[in-house]
Amino acid sequence: MKHSGHDQFTGALRRRVLKAGGGGLLLASAGPALVLAQTPKRGGTLRVSSGGDPPDFDMHQTATYLSQFLCAPCYSTLMRADPKDYHRLLPDLAEKAEVSGDGKTVTFQLRDGVLFHNGMPLTAEDVVFSLERIRNPAKGLVSPRKGLLGNIEAVEARGARTVVVRLAQPQADFLFLVSNPFNVIMPKKVAEPLDAQGQGMKRQIVGTGPFRLTQSVDGQLYELTRFDKYFGPPAYLDKIQFFPIKGEIERSAALQGKRIDACYFFANEAALASVRKVPGVTALRRPTPVFVNLIPNARRKPFDDPRVREALSLALDRDSFIKTVGPLSGAFYHSFGLMPPDSPYSLGQAEIRQFGGYDTLPGLGGNLAANRQRAIALLEQAGVPKGFKIVIPTRSDIPAFRDAAINIAGQLKTVGLEVTVDIRDAGAFYTIETKGDFQMVVHSVAMGGSTPDQILGEGYTSYGGRNYGQWKDDGLDNLYRQQSREPDAKKRGELIRQFQLAFLKTYYQINLAWVGYGAAYWNTVQGWTALPDIYANMQMDRVWLDS
Amino acid sequence: MLDYIVRRLLIGVVTLCGVAMIVFVVMRVLPGDAAVMLSGAGAGAVSEKELAGVRAKLGLDRALPVQFFDWAGEVAQLRLGTSLRTGNEVTADVARRFPYTLQIVVMAMLIAVLVGVPVGVLSAARAGTWADQLLRALSIGGLAAPSFWVGLLLILALVWLFQWSAPLIWEPFWISPWKSLTQLFWPALAVGLRQLALIARMTRSIMLEVLGEDYIRTARAKGLSEWAVVMHHGLRNGLLPVVTLIGFEVSALFGGLIVTETVFSVPGLGQYVVSAILNRDYPAAQGIVLILAGIVVLGNLGVDLLYGWLDPRTRVQAGER
Repeated sequence: MKHSGHDQFTGALRRRVLKAGGGGLLLASAGPALVLAQTPKRGGTLRVSSGGDPPDFDMHQTATYLSQFLCAPCYSTLMRADPKDYHRLLPDLAEKAEVSGDGKTVTFQLRDGVLFHNGMPLTAEDVVFSLERIRNPAKGLVSPRKGLLGNIEAVEARGARTVVVRLAQPQADFLFLVSNPFNVIMPKKVAEPLDAQGQGMKRQIVGTGPFRLTQSVDGQLYELTRFDKYFGPPAYLDKIQFFPIKGEIERSAALQGKRIDACYFFANEAALASVRKVPGVTALRRPTPVFVNLIPNARRKPFDDPRVREALSLALDRDSFIKTVGPLSGAFYHSFGLMPPDSPYSLGQAEIRQFGGYDTLPGLGGNLAANRQRAIALLEQAGVPKGFKIVIPTRSDIPAFRDAAINIAGQLKTVGLEVTVDIRDAGAFYTIETKGDFQMVVHSVAMGGSTPDQILGEGYTSYGGRNYGQWKDDGLDNLYRQQSREPDAKKRGELIRQFQLAFLKTYYQINLAWVGYGAAYWNTVQGWTALPDIYANMQMDRVWLDS
Repeated sequence: MLDYIVRRLLIGVVTLCGVAMIVFVVMRVLPGDAAVMLSGAGAGAVSEKELAGVRAKLGLDRALPVQFFDWAGEVAQLRLGTSLRTGNEVTADVARRFPYTLQIVVMAMLIAVLVGVPVGVLSAARAGTWADQLLRALSIGGLAAPSFWVGLLLILALVWLFQWSAPLIWEPFWISPWKSLTQLFWPALAVGLRQLALIARMTRSIMLEVLGEDYIRTARAKGLSEWAVVMHHGLRNGLLPVVTLIGFEVSALFGGLIVTETVFSVPGLGQYVVSAILNRDYPAAQGIVLILAGIVVLGNLGVDLLYGWLDPRTRVQAGER
C-alpha cells in the first residue's frame, strides 16, 4: 500500500509525466510518435544551418546548441519532451519509470531491442555508465551538468533492462533533470576506452537516435543519415545536412537563396526580419531558458555590500535594456522573478516591484529618476566614492554579452560610477571569469531546461554551476533543497516563491532580461514545433519535407 | 644564382625557427586557457580540479621549455601535431583547407592584376583628364571599402537581385571547376577589389614617373606610336615596383583572408587560424602560423627571382654577391 508521501510525490510528477493506464506512475510505451495534421512524406534531405562548427560531439561535456543541434538526432535520452506540451515527458529509451513510496528510488525499465548505431544492443550498463559519466566524470573529462544529477546517490543495473537510481532526497523534477536533452545515453564499450585516453566522445557519435553521423568535415559539412534500425518509428527524412555558417546575415542569405531549408537559430532581429518578409518562409521567435544577468563579484569590495548591489539594480532601466539590446541579441523577454517568462512560478507584479529597480520592467511604470537618486544615496552610504572605477570584462563574439555589457556600463554611469567595458575574445573572458578575476560581468546564462530545480539549482544556489559571483548563502541553499524535495505541489510552489523573494533581496545576481531564439524555415519543412526551449525537440525524427 | 637561392633558403629556415619560438611564446602569453575552452567554456560548472585534469591529459601542465622542444622535435619531422579542437593532424586540416585559400588568392590577384594594371596605365596615360579623375576616385573607394563589407554587400545584392546565393558544399577546383569558380569568385572579388585599387594606384604613380623619363622622350622622338611607347618602353620598366607589391600582397593575403572567409563561409586557412586562436588550439595555431610564415618566405624569394627575370641588372648584382 502506498503511503501518503508517495501519493503526494507522484502527484507532483504526474502533472508533468505522461501517464499510461491507471494506478502507478508509468510512462507509456507507445513510442514517440505524434499525431500530425498532414500526411507526412518520406525521403529528402533537410539542409540546415544554425551557426558555426560544433566545438565537439561529446554531449556530456558540451553546453552549446551548436553541438546539441547536430547530436540530438543521433542520441536518445531516457525520456524526451512532448512537442505538444514541453512540460510533459514522453518515453524514449525508458518505456516505464516507477518511483518508490518514499520518493527516493526511481526504477527505469528500458525498451527491448534498442540498438546503437554500431549494432551493439543497448543495455542497462550503458545507462548506468552514462549517468555516472555525467555526475562523476573520469579524469580529463568535464561535466557541466553534473550538478543536475547531484541528488543521485547510486545508480545500478538490475539485469539487462532495468536501471535503479537511488536519490539522496525525493526530487519532484528528477525525471526532467535525468532527461535533459544533453544527458544522452552512450555505449559504455565505445566511450569508456576513449575516456581513459582523455579524448571522450568528442569526435564521434554513437547513439541510438533516429539518425547517425555519416560525414563530418570541419568547416564544411556535417551529414546525418536515417538510422534504419531506430527503435521508434523511422524518421521521415533520408538525410540532414548541417552547414556551418557563422554570420546571421549570411545564414539569412543562404535561406533566401534556397541553399538551406531551415535555420534554427537567429539572435539578431534584423537578420530574422529580412527572412520574415520572404513569401514561403515561416519566421518566428520563442523565449528559451537563457537569462541575461548583471553579476557582481560578491567577494570583491565594494560588491560584498548588499547596498552597493542594490544600487546597481536601482540604476538600471530594464525596459530600455530590452528595447536596445533585444534586437541585437534576442533578449526581448522579461519575467517577474527568477523563473522563465511562461513559468507558473512567476512572482506577482506587487512582489517584484518591492525590489530596487525592478519596477522598470516593461509595463510596471517605475520612476527611473527616483530609483537613480536612491542608488546614488545608497552608494554614498556604502562609502563608494563618486567616479568609482569599474571594469566589466565581456566576450566579443556574442551580443548578449558584449552589447549587453556596453548598455549596462552606460546606464551605471548615470549614478556616478566610472564604468568601462573590457572586450576580450571568449577564451580570455572565460579564463578571467573562471578565476573570479573581475568586479562584475554581464552574463547570458543558458540553462538546461526550465523546471525549478534546473533554473534555481543551477543558476541561483551557492553550489550551482552558475555562481559566477562566488557568493555563499546557506539559508538560500537550504531553502532550495527544501523546495526540491517537497512533494506537495502547493507547498512547493510557496517555497519556490519564498526562495525567489529571498534571492532577489540579496541582489547576488541582478536580472535584466530573458533571451529568445529566432527560427526560420521554408514552408516545405513540416513537422517541427518551436518550443519555448531551444534545446528541446531537436531530434528531427518527425520532421518531413513537403516538396 | 644557385648560391643566392640556397643562401636565401637558409635565411628562411632561420626566420622560421624564430617565428616558431615567437608564436609558441605568444600563444602561451595570450590571456586564455586551452583547458577552459575545451571544457565547454561558458557552461560554468567546471572546477579547477577538472581543468587540471584536462591540462594534464593535454600535457599542458609540463614546463614550457619541455613543451616547446617536444613540439619543435615534431616540427623537425614535418609533423605539426594534432589539433585540440578537430582531433585531426594539423597538416591534414591544412591540406584540406589550403586549396580554397590558394584559389581565392589566385583569383583575387588575377582580378587585381588584369584590371588594376590597365586601369593604372590608362590613368597615367590620360593623366588629368576626366577618365583619370574617375579612375582615381574609384580606386580610392576600393581602398577605403573593407573587403568584409564589400563581401556582405555582394551576398545581399545577389540574394535581393537574383535570389541566388553560392552553393554550400565545397569541392576543390580540380574536382568541380565551374562550381568552384561560382563559389569562390565572390570572395575573390571582394578581396580583389582592394588589391585592384592598390595596384592601379601604384601603377599610375610609377607610370607617371616613367613616362617623364628621357628614354621615353627619345622613344617618342623616334616616332613610335603612343601604344608602343607606353606598353613596351614605359610599362616594362615601371612594372618592377608593381611586382614587388604583388608579391607582398600575395603573401599577406594567405594570412589575411580571415574575415572574408568567415563572411563567405569558405572552409579555408583564414577560418582555421581564427578558430585555432580563439579556441587556444595551440598545435593548430602554431602550425598554421609557421606555414603562413613559410609562404611569406617563399613568396619573397619568388619575387626576388622574378626581379631577376624582369630586370637583367638584378641578375648580375645577385651573381656578383
